[in-house]
Amino acid sequence: MAITDTATLRRKMTGRTGLHPVWLAAFAGLLCAAPLLAVVWLGVSGPWSDYLIHIANTRLAEFLINTAIVGLTAALLAGVIGTGTAWLVTRHVFPGRNVFQWMLALPLAMPAYAAAYGWYDLTQGAGPLGGLLPTVHGPLGAGAIFGLVFYPYVYLLARESFSAQSADAYDAARTLGCSPFQAFARTALPMVRPAIAAGLALVVMEALADYGTVSHLGAPTLTVALMRAWAGEGSIPDAARLAMLLVSITFLIFMAERALRRRARQTAASGHVRAFRRQSLSPLAGMLAAFACLLPVLMGLVIPAARLGWRAAYTPAATGLMDAAVNSLVLAGISGLLAAVIGLGLAYAIRTRKLAGRASARIAAMGYGVPGAVAALGVLIIFGTLQGWLDTGWRTLTGSPFPLVLTGSALALIFAYQARFIAAAIGPSESALSRVTPSLDAAARSLGARPLELARRVHWPLVSSGVALAGLLVFVEVLKELPATMILRPFNMNTLAVTAHNYAADERLGEAALPAVLLVVAALPAMIWIARRITATERARASVPPSEAIPGLAE
Amino acid sequence: MSDRLRLSIIGALCASLGLTACGQPEQDSVVNVFSARHYASDQEVFRAFTEETGIAINLVEADGDLLIERVRADGERSQADVIITVDAGRLHRAEQAGLFQPAGDLGGMLDRVPDALVHPDNLWFGFATRARVIVYARDRVDPSEVQTYADLARPEFEGRVCVRSSSNVYNQSLVAGMIAEDGVEAAESFARGIAQNLARTPQGGDTDQIRAVAAGECDVAIVNHYYLGRLLNASDNADRAVGEAVGIVFPDQGQGGTYVNISGAGLAANAPNPEAARALLAFLLSERAQRAFAELTNEFPADPSVSYDNTVLEGFAGFEARDLNVNALGENGAEAQRIFDRVGWP
Repeated sequence: MAITDTATLRRKMTGRTGLHPVWLAAFAGLLCAAPLLAVVWLGVSGPWSDYLIHIANTRLAEFLINTAIVGLTAALLAGVIGTGTAWLVTRHVFPGRNVFQWMLALPLAMPAYAAAYGWYDLTQGAGPLGGLLPTVHGPLGAGAIFGLVFYPYVYLLARESFSAQSADAYDAARTLGCSPFQAFARTALPMVRPAIAAGLALVVMEALADYGTVSHLGAPTLTVALMRAWAGEGSIPDAARLAMLLVSITFLIFMAERALRRRARQTAASGHVRAFRRQSLSPLAGMLAAFACLLPVLMGLVIPAARLGWRAAYTPAATGLMDAAVNSLVLAGISGLLAAVIGLGLAYAIRTRKLAGRASARIAAMGYGVPGAVAALGVLIIFGTLQGWLDTGWRTLTGSPFPLVLTGSALALIFAYQARFIAAAIGPSESALSRVTPSLDAAARSLGARPLELARRVHWPLVSSGVALAGLLVFVEVLKELPATMILRPFNMNTLAVTAHNYAADERLGEAALPAVLLVVAALPAMIWIARRITATERARASVPPSEAIPGLAE
Repeated sequence: MSDRLRLSIIGALCASLGLTACGQPEQDSVVNVFSARHYASDQEVFRAFTEETGIAINLVEADGDLLIERVRADGERSQADVIITVDAGRLHRAEQAGLFQPAGDLGGMLDRVPDALVHPDNLWFGFATRARVIVYARDRVDPSEVQTYADLARPEFEGRVCVRSSSNVYNQSLVAGMIAEDGVEAAESFARGIAQNLARTPQGGDTDQIRAVAAGECDVAIVNHYYLGRLLNASDNADRAVGEAVGIVFPDQGQGGTYVNISGAGLAANAPNPEAARALLAFLLSERAQRAFAELTNEFPADPSVSYDNTVLEGFAGFEARDLNVNALGENGAEAQRIFDRVGWP
């Protein structure tokens, strides 16, 4: 009933504006997907050699098995840590809860390879923990590193979703005799499943697309196979084909997840949100909860960073870090804001269920599953081709080539970041929009809300924290981004990530420490802001009596 | 459209988009360097170059493979004047992509470089070298047992060898050199021997292999010499102790010589500032620059006559290097990697 109503309304809306907004989103999505499509084109059109046959006959099975182990380990660890800590901080009161709210997100700012270098240096036979702990290496070690630095994706999305959840179902379950854990597992958990799935999608894509960590720890995944095709064999088309295989694998996993989720669709009956009461924990349980929140921060961030920092004590400090920090913050800030807008647009495009919108959003998001170097290559191809066209066109007009060189500019960089990270912006917005049920739209429309009013007064309050989160994730991603930044940046422009990487790649861990720690510091204000914001939204929702839970409608 | 109008539109575009290379810089007052190296020695050399010549340096540093693709994608619009990278394999790849043009003899400076370090058609040259050496545990290994690369492939060393992954270009170039010198079969049997003798799954970098030898995880390792040089010159006592726990052997002395690789540079094919580029290329071979590479990066100067203040490196010098043109390392790199895949050197 309600769905038919909204469909009618949407048709009316389309008729009025002439151009359905979904086309705008679809265009943005395709733009973001362009580098990936360029890589696919390389793979399809490039010359074929016998290299893939050679790989299939020798190491393909090893690469695939390692990929599976790395992905599963990372997903399992990130899922448990992220969901568990989010549940603790949203629904319980214990010592340090306010600090943990934002602190738990910090390991995200630690580049995975830096955490890997630190942990390996600590636990290798020659390291101070060698013999005490197993050496962090191989596919399990790499998966563990990814779990520890990427769990904040799950944590942030799950926390946002738990916060927005009504207490009704949980309380009902408790009244009906469920233990707290049973009530959590049967009511709260299923409702945040879209958020957890979105977070895990990011974790797995990051883990499978990583090169620095897996090559340092000796866990050759498909990405290593791909880089060997490129760097060793010198066959970029074969590297592109392996990238397509990698992207197909991640895509299939998430198609399957979505299909499962669709069967078990969970939506609250309305926008009605009854706030839950946070449960106070006994002193002992409170200490345990605090420890459970502290441990991932220690392992994902503090311990590896401290190891790098300890080595820094013996090395001269890197220079030019202030400039690098400013560059990092400006690039990440602009990209984060832009991605939040595009991500929200694409999330709406998905919601319309129009094929063009959904397809473009999904393709754009796939760029995330491609190793960074390959994504950067795609951007180079796009800009190289575009430059060629512009030069030809400009030459016909004026006799000289186009006066601008497109690569090596901030514009190229920001485009590259959108293409690579838009998935991180779509996920949170999509998850937040899933709370806006069709019947809510219908109710608002039946009360006479116009489309923009609907978006502003009904949707925005429900999705704003998700959109802010989307911006934050892309912000942090861009802070850490490496290959595209290295190859597309203007002359003499450094970022913190590039500086840290240059030293680490040269096995100078001490010099890499300071820029790596500065990365975390740079991300800190944004992390704290977002934590406050989510808490504030939570409070605002809690203060609204149920009958007025749909803002604006009561007026 | 009037020229002024067009210029002002372009100017506004540039300002708003942060695009570089708007307008024409004064010819040759600047040189654009695309480098895959990121060492303090290079910063020092670039600073000295600007100081001596007044030519400013614009620098982009990125990993070698991406650097090549950037210059290739930019094509005739590439701003690159000088391309610098480590490992002959990368230089070969760049040359195959048509990124270099001959730079001439650089005012006679190139004569100071041994022929083996210069591309046969003079498209690039090495300005510093690194040797792929054997390090051994002083307390457990008699250096007479490890005088050749092939020694490490013998059954006596089963479970005793540490070396990093075969994805690393240093290993690819080593085996590529063996292919050029002794043929695919000999190179493959060496690689198979190493794969069978590995003490652990390859992990970490070259420094980590040296640490593993010092810690007793393995008895011998194959590494680039400057990583040991860096440990021995470290200000951290623990690092120096690691360096002192191992001995170094320059393999294959009297049997063809130790395999060396280069840090190399060349003049970009579409260089917008070719004269400034040539000046920089010549400067890389000047005594001041050569000393910087030896003293700050522990690399051997390409010009053997240059003296420097680095006792550790002086202690290493004077070995017999392979007389093989380093271009061969690049030519056989792909085959070397296939050998690794076949023999199971991860």
